[in-house]
Amino acid sequence: MSEHLNDYIKPELMACCGAREIKDGDRVIVGTGFPTMAANIAKHTHAPNAMMMQEAGSYDAVPRRPALSVGDPCLNPGAAMIGGLVEIMGMFLQRGWVDVGFLSGSQVDKFGNINTTVIGDYNNPKSRLPGSGGANPIGSLVKRVLIIALHDTRRLAEKVDFITTPGYIDGPGAREKWGLPEGTGPWALITNKAVLKFDDKTKEAYLASYHHDSSVDEVVKNTPWDLKVADDVHETEPPRLEEIRVLREVLDPNRMIKIYEGRGYV
Amino acid sequence: MSKVMSMKEAIDKNVSDGSFLFIGGYIARPPFSAIHEIIRQKKRDLTVTRSNAADGFDMLIGAGCVKRFIATFLSLGLYGLARCYRRSIEKGIPHKIEVEEYSNLSLPMMLMAGALGMPFVPVKDMLGTDLLNVKSFMGDGKYKMIDSPFDGSPILLVPALRPDVGIIHVQQADENGNAQMWGIGGDCRWGANASEKVIVSCERIVTRDVIGLDPSRTIVPDFKVAAVVEEPFGAHPGYAAGFYDVDFVFGSLYQQASNTVEGFKEFLDEWVFGVADRTEYTQHYIEKFGYRQFESLKAGFSFSPPVSYEY
Repeated sequence: MSEHLNDYIKPELMACCGAREIKDGDRVIVGTGFPTMAANIAKHTHAPNAMMMQEAGSYDAVPRRPALSVGDPCLNPGAAMIGGLVEIMGMFLQRGWVDVGFLSGSQVDKFGNINTTVIGDYNNPKSRLPGSGGANPIGSLVKRVLIIALHDTRRLAEKVDFITTPGYIDGPGAREKWGLPEGTGPWALITNKAVLKFDDKTKEAYLASYHHDSSVDEVVKNTPWDLKVADDVHETEPPRLEEIRVLREVLDPNRMIKIYEGRGYV
Repeated sequence: MSKVMSMKEAIDKNVSDGSFLFIGGYIARPPFSAIHEIIRQKKRDLTVTRSNAADGFDMLIGAGCVKRFIATFLSLGLYGLARCYRRSIEKGIPHKIEVEEYSNLSLPMMLMAGALGMPFVPVKDMLGTDLLNVKSFMGDGKYKMIDSPFDGSPILLVPALRPDVGIIHVQQADENGNAQMWGIGGDCRWGANASEKVIVSCERIVTRDVIGLDPSRTIVPDFKVAAVVEEPFGAHPGYAAGFYDVDFVFGSLYQQASNTVEGFKEFLDEWVFGVADRTEYTQHYIEKFGYRQFESLKAGFSFSPPVSYEY
């Protein structure tokens, strides 16, 4: 039974939540920030055989400093294989070899659809966002998508303005109808207030656990859809001592993770 | 006829108004010297493409060079959203560009299809999303849905892309254009080979013999190359593996400058119009930031064991 730490910041908890969804041996596609931290925590604790890749071309990179982009120079020396987008997005992802992908979005809805294209009308947007990048293929083709999001009624939506990345689209059977591969789709939505999972039957996100400074009521109130609550809903397990040791001593001794508090992950 | 020339000549001879350009490099080896020269020569009505675009494309859009963008993503990454791109789409400044939206699976595959002489290629992305509901200048040619002629299953097809000119920055090339690259590739190999002709800028020109000591590194063969430009520091503020690191200070400078139209104009006046070429750019960089800062970007060194192709 691992011991837990009670003195942690929210981003640390979220990274641990992400780590716990990675199984030993999983092949994980990661961007920078939370995904890499979560995958690395997993690799150093219960999933030593998990392998990471970055979409621009690196597989099993061993960066000596935190990578600040998916094409970062520190991903080059020491990697097991380096190619380009066709290798990672085509050969690995499209062919079905990638188990876990992390995504974040400007807007996420109850089916786990993600919007990174526009806020407002596409032809006359209030806000033009970056676009899909690797998000759409990752959401379409990995077995388990882990979504990181800020939990508020602006970032979460009943229905996103634009579906850039498919979650369960509009409900049960939709992914299958569109020909997306069997056994793929959103697995967890990790926010600064809670961990939501996706219902097998309805494909809607429901509350699985709430973080220590939140509650079922608080999460429901801050979610802009009729949020269902798991029968066994409970407080999110705090970071385990071993997870925090890896994070604070091995991966991030300069505690760059604090940047996320400034971005609202509190 | 030597293909070795200055960037000024390479762009002048090969890029016209209205050209369709593949501009390679995401963080790794963006051909900034070429991008700046395109802006300097005030090229207009360009169609540009690459997977995961960043500050270079943002600059081209802000400078008014771009008419159409075959896109997957445009952002300043660490530094947030791309300001010139947003101003173009949200406010029409300097003008609203046309955007055809794909993703980092379909676009590299479209370039690969072009490189391989294929008319189109099946892909498994974009299904079930609004990416299939929006079409711009490619209209119905953006994609097609068919039933597989083999087993009847639904298949999404995207067209091959064949840009007029591919522009890439690599570590080394010979005078004929055999271009060698190592490290993270992005979509450089396929984008360059999809193009009708290629402008190669490189950190150093090497002899054909040196190319021959490790031919597996060659990503573009000489016969595709129209111009070879020896341009050390040519990818700055991006990096070139083995040569120099990303310049995060400069990235922050661009983010701040591009926050406003005036700031962006001042940035161009200083770093693009105020210098004749990349040599003067580098000189200005050293004058402004100091030699120490310039040296601090230089890559460390490590030896990989030599490989032998002998038999």
